Amino acid sequence: MMQMKRTNISFQRISLIMLIVVIALGGATGCKSKKKLAKEQAAAEYAARVEQATRDLTAILNDDNSWSLEEKERRVATIKGWNLQDENVLNLMDQVEDKLAQERADAMRKAEEDRLRREEEERLQREAAKYNSVENQFMAIAAAPDVNTANEKIDQAMRLFASPDVPVLVIISQVGGFNDYDKPTTISKYLNYLKDQKVYNNRIEQVKYDGNGKIIELELIKK
Amino acid sequence: MKKIQFIIAVLIGIFSVNIVQAQDDLSPERKQAIDSLALEKVRDLSKYISIIGSKTTPWSEANRVIDRADELFMAGAEIGVSSISRPEVAYYKVRQYFERLMRLNYDRVEIEWFKIEYVSDLQRQPDGTYVGVITIFQKFKGYDKEGGLVYEDTTKKDITVYVKRKETQIGGRIIGFWDVLLGDMRVKETSK
Repeated sequence: MMQMKRTNISFQRISLIMLIVVIALGGATGCKSKKKLAKEQAAAEYAARVEQATRDLTAILNDDNSWSLEEKERRVATIKGWNLQDENVLNLMDQVEDKLAQERADAMRKAEEDRLRREEEERLQREAAKYNSVENQFMAIAAAPDVNTANEKIDQAMRLFASPDVPVLVIISQVGGFNDYDKPTTISKYLNYLKDQKVYNNRIEQVKYDGNGKIIELELIKK
Repeated sequence: MKKIQFIIAVLIGIFSVNIVQAQDDLSPERKQAIDSLALEKVRDLSKYISIIGSKTTPWSEANRVIDRADELFMAGAEIGVSSISRPEVAYYKVRQYFERLMRLNYDRVEIEWFKIEYVSDLQRQPDGTYVGVITIFQKFKGYDKEGGLVYEDTTKKDITVYVKRKETQIGGRIIGFWDVLLGDMRVKETSK
């Protein structure tokens, strides 16, 4: 009976030890698998980022996209943030950064050109508005239905000028800051010219006035 | 001192040559501008001829327009007149032509120019003048007092144009301008 009890205790001990060994062995193997899995996941994520970076950078380089400059710069910043050490990606990144720097410079130049063009248009509009009353008189002479009406309009317009001999210059071209003119004429001849030809196709470029507010020189430019 | 004078003289020489070259070698834009200017003068003449020939134009107006039209031509230029009823072409001095036009023996006259274009582009001559030829077609119609069409013809005419750069002083500054002058107007063909 004693013998049987002793054998039973030994068996329980052995079972307990075996259980501990199995648990210990099983636990160690599970831990090892998790680390491997994490490593594989990291590698897969890195590979996916390299692939994404290569695809985006190549698209930017080949203009094979519809992204704005800001969008391209955001994508490049994101890719840089990934800190990829792939040689191909680094090479593409260098080229893309050069390209975007050029695009940024072009965009800034275009913005400046647009600004200057808008300013010039506004200046021309201001100038046009300034000379509206004179321009309207010229158009009225050109549009007069008969000689008598045209002559009345000429008399009205002539009151704006210091004399019938006020010089009128017509710019026919402006190239490189250099003006080419038609043969100078006088305001009297010019107003009659509008009456005869029935067309006013110039724009006032510059007007000079005397102390009495009368025009003493008129410069026109062909439209 | 002589050395400095020599250098200044050389610099002035180079500067002058550059200015002359700049005016000789017209850019396409500037050339286009003087081409258009010469064509515009011919179109102006077309309108003047129509006004002078019109029987509704008051006499004083017609004479004023003759002065303007006359200013478009070089001194001594001639205009050819043809008719479908005679083979020869008569040439008249410009003012004489306009005065005859004003007194034509019709009760109503219609003169219209069309197809005004270059047949020979403006070419620079050694003296700096640009010379070209512009062709026009003139449709002439003369009516009697009953309003009946008495005579009509269509004439093709060639006009030689001369364009030269000149300078004048206006308001204390030098203005460089292109002086366009018309030469002879030759009849090329006349048809009904």
